[in-house]
Amino acid sequence: MKVSSINGLVLRTAALALLMLAAASGVSAQASSAQLSINLTVQSSISLVFNDNPNVGSVGFCPLTNPGTNNVGLDLGSASFPGNFHSSTCVDYAHVGASFYQVSSAFDVLVTKSNSSSPSYRLAAQISTAPPANVVWLINNIPLNNVAFTTLDLLDSYGRPVTKTLQVQVRNNVPAQLLQETITFLATAN
Amino acid sequence: MKKHSAQIRIILALMALLCASPVFAQNPTATGVINGTLINKNGIALIFDTDPGGVTLGAAGTSAATLDFGAISAFGPLAPGVTRTSVTAVNYTVRTVFDVQVIQGGLNSNTYTLSAQLASALPTGFSFKIDGVTLANGASNIQTNAAYNVDVPHNLDLTVSTAAPGAGGPAVGTPLSTVINFQASAN
Repeated sequence: MKVSSINGLVLRTAALALLMLAAASGVSAQASSAQLSINLTVQSSISLVFNDNPNVGSVGFCPLTNPGTNNVGLDLGSASFPGNFHSSTCVDYAHVGASFYQVSSAFDVLVTKSNSSSPSYRLAAQISTAPPANVVWLINNIPLNNVAFTTLDLLDSYGRPVTKTLQVQVRNNVPAQLLQETITFLATAN
Repeated sequence: MKKHSAQIRIILALMALLCASPVFAQNPTATGVINGTLINKNGIALIFDTDPGGVTLGAAGTSAATLDFGAISAFGPLAPGVTRTSVTAVNYTVRTVFDVQVIQGGLNSNTYTLSAQLASALPTGFSFKIDGVTLANGASNIQTNAAYNVDVPHNLDLTVSTAAPGAGGPAVGTPLSTVINFQASAN
């Protein structure tokens, strides 16, 4: 009888201790589990940036503003037909035929790919607005227009800079004015 | 009914696949823009060219050329491209021809006026004419309706006094030079 009383006391004490421990540790009697399902789709993508050509600063290689991005500026300075006048020291100036002058500058186009097995890409360009009469904007001697993209290359390699030359040809009867275009380049994976 | 629903689900799934497939088949693209600017200015420029019938100019094709008559005399041989147009008791004249080309851009002009003047007083015993117009230290019109972009030949006449040195004639045996300034003005 004495022994059983002691046992009962021990059991009650142990139960109370467990209860206190549970309360102290915040353990709830309830439990929940959750599962987060992750869904995604990896898609192939490519990027295009413009860089200064390694020859930047020399004749025919003007520096870009904001190089290394896909939105750069290229200032060709001012020029006129008579006297081979051109203010920029980095543009390449030449007379083309009897009545046109041309200023040009080269830069690099770098297209990279990700998650793609595409072996190459196509490159095209388009100007933003119709230029004034007798003004022609070209890339590597290919005239551009504002109606559709003009193909420049069919099989360019990813990760390798492609040097392109922007040319502006102006006839000698074009009145003095600011000539500007936003030239959009489009790279499409093959 | 149950079979019918399954068929509808299959059809819807197929339609979804058909609609989605072009999207996945489309090749990725990337774009970039270059903002290009050029200020087209107007202007007018004058260059000298060698005429086939005249002496060969130094720095031909530029606006700072040189023309060398060589050794001249009333009766002796003359350099190629130099002719003697007259010899009188008081003077003689030698002539060569040179070309002027004026180029314009961006101007609403079809012709130009060419004028010339001596940069400084001539040495004693000389006088110059271009196309018959005597040059002076002030500007003289040479041509009033000249065409752009073509070589226009002009006769340069140098009249030399036959008087002896010190008596109104030129120095002898000494290289002499003079500068003629030209101006082309758009009409």
